[in-house]
Amino acid sequence: MRVSKLERKNAIAGYILVTPALLVIGLVTIFPILYSVWMSLNHIQSTVNGFQFTFNGLTNYVKIFNYQPFWQALQFTTIYAIVTVFIELALGLLVALALNQPIKGRGIAVAIMLIPWTLITVISAQMWHYIYEPTFGVLNFILMQLHMISSPVLWLGAPQLATISMMVADVWKTTPFVTLILLSGLQLIPADLYEASKIDGAGIWRSFWKITFPLLRPSIGLAALFRILQAFGLFDLPYVLTSGGPGNSTTPIAMLTFQVLFNMDKFGPGTAMAVTTVGIVIVLALIFLKALRTQVGEVD
Amino acid sequence: MQRILMRKGIGYLVLIVMLIIIVAPFYWMVITSLKPFMSIISPTPSLYPNHLTWMWYVSAFIQFGFGTYIMNSVIVSVTSTIIVMFLAALASYAIARLPIRGKAPIMVILLMISTFPQVGVVSPLYIMLQHLGWLNSYQALIIPYTAFNLPFSIWVMRTYFAGIPKELDEAARVDGAGVLTTVFRIILPLATPGLFTGAIFTFVACWTEFFFSLVFNSVNAYRTIPVGIALFGGQFTIPYGTMFAGSTVAVLPIVIIVLIFQKWVVAGLTAGAVKG
Repeated sequence: MRVSKLERKNAIAGYILVTPALLVIGLVTIFPILYSVWMSLNHIQSTVNGFQFTFNGLTNYVKIFNYQPFWQALQFTTIYAIVTVFIELALGLLVALALNQPIKGRGIAVAIMLIPWTLITVISAQMWHYIYEPTFGVLNFILMQLHMISSPVLWLGAPQLATISMMVADVWKTTPFVTLILLSGLQLIPADLYEASKIDGAGIWRSFWKITFPLLRPSIGLAALFRILQAFGLFDLPYVLTSGGPGNSTTPIAMLTFQVLFNMDKFGPGTAMAVTTVGIVIVLALIFLKALRTQVGEVD
Repeated sequence: MQRILMRKGIGYLVLIVMLIIIVAPFYWMVITSLKPFMSIISPTPSLYPNHLTWMWYVSAFIQFGFGTYIMNSVIVSVTSTIIVMFLAALASYAIARLPIRGKAPIMVILLMISTFPQVGVVSPLYIMLQHLGWLNSYQALIIPYTAFNLPFSIWVMRTYFAGIPKELDEAARVDGAGVLTTVFRIILPLATPGLFTGAIFTFVACWTEFFFSLVFNSVNAYRTIPVGIALFGGQFTIPYGTMFAGSTVAVLPIVIIVLIFQKWVVAGLTAGAVKG
């Protein structure tokens, strides 16, 4: 009898303890997302007395789907996400495998790899802006000294080159973090698995594909998931490095949404874009989580 | 034997190349912040400083009011981190230990939320903040930062709480200790690694956040470091020297904190890897 009374007291205490956290999360994330859906179905005008809503159905969605920059931004974001995440995973895996060797100085390496993660993206963008600067940037200087280019290159001047330059800055900042996730995954793989496969006569290449890769798949999937979802929020880097240009060529979806909302003051269509982005992200996250779960199941 | 040596050799090579690539842009930023103007815009830059000057540091603080940005960033990040840790400790204890319903859905929702792009909530939050008269204030950032960082901290701390023997808090409870006493006196001291991990990830996320800060606080007096640096540019020239002096000051303390608490950051990454 006493136990069940304590049990009930505990349950009540439990609800009281989770409530503040869930309330803050609900008010700042879940409620606004639902409210966004409602906003995206309205014509919104900002007046002296605040915002005025007039229901207009799917008009905002029709507008953005007929708005060419929206498709351009969506295409840019998708390509950018796929390319950067692929490169980061490939490089990250390479470095993580190197660091997983019995070598000295791993602690220092891990410490240094944490530094780009702590760096404010805006600062890294300004840093790269100065490096890419055509007349006095150090990149042109070094490449010209090495006779790899004969005249200064406008790294941020043409759509494709600007995209690549931005990807380089992104890969520089994020690969170390991806490496650390993969390295911690690698260290969870029991060493005796490798011993066993060595006795079976398997080489490095074979044991990589038979042991390392399958067991690392959850870590790889997790890193890929976080990075792809982050790419859909890509904002800081293009805002500072390229201002989305030249033209619209490096404007990702989050930045276009920002411009429509706060520069053009179009809250209806802007919110419709935001809702579309959230929809895409949720679908991607569900697909990934499902894939991850089945993978983990297979490994077990 | 030869094979092992070769693998080690490749390991060291990859390591050294990677470290140079990571450090070089930082080096360039710090060096630039110490160079005189003519040397900063020279088409033949020297790869090390010839004369050192502190003038950019002086102008960052005196002319450009960089101190305000630093103060704002410290206030917002520290407050958010403290609130996150407090709320996360309570919530994760309840989820890890107390018999409440709906634990699994709560954890899944938290995971989903931690992946939401900020742009998805920015317009309603903007309207809410405007309605409350809270645009251009500290709470305009502290509240969203708290909400967006709670899920990760709850996940991590729950993992640590689950590793503490149940008998400890059960004994305390049977002895008549209240829930709060149990959490703060018995469980939290044993879960400090989880606390550190959550706190560092939250602090770094707040310190580096740009989007909300740009949108919600447009008045200079409430700008944080990232916004200050992003909007540093003049109309025609970018004051690289001043900007990098400010950036160096903004980067150093965080680098030092993270290096000191390195272990807990790596622990957080492992938690992430296991969690998947």
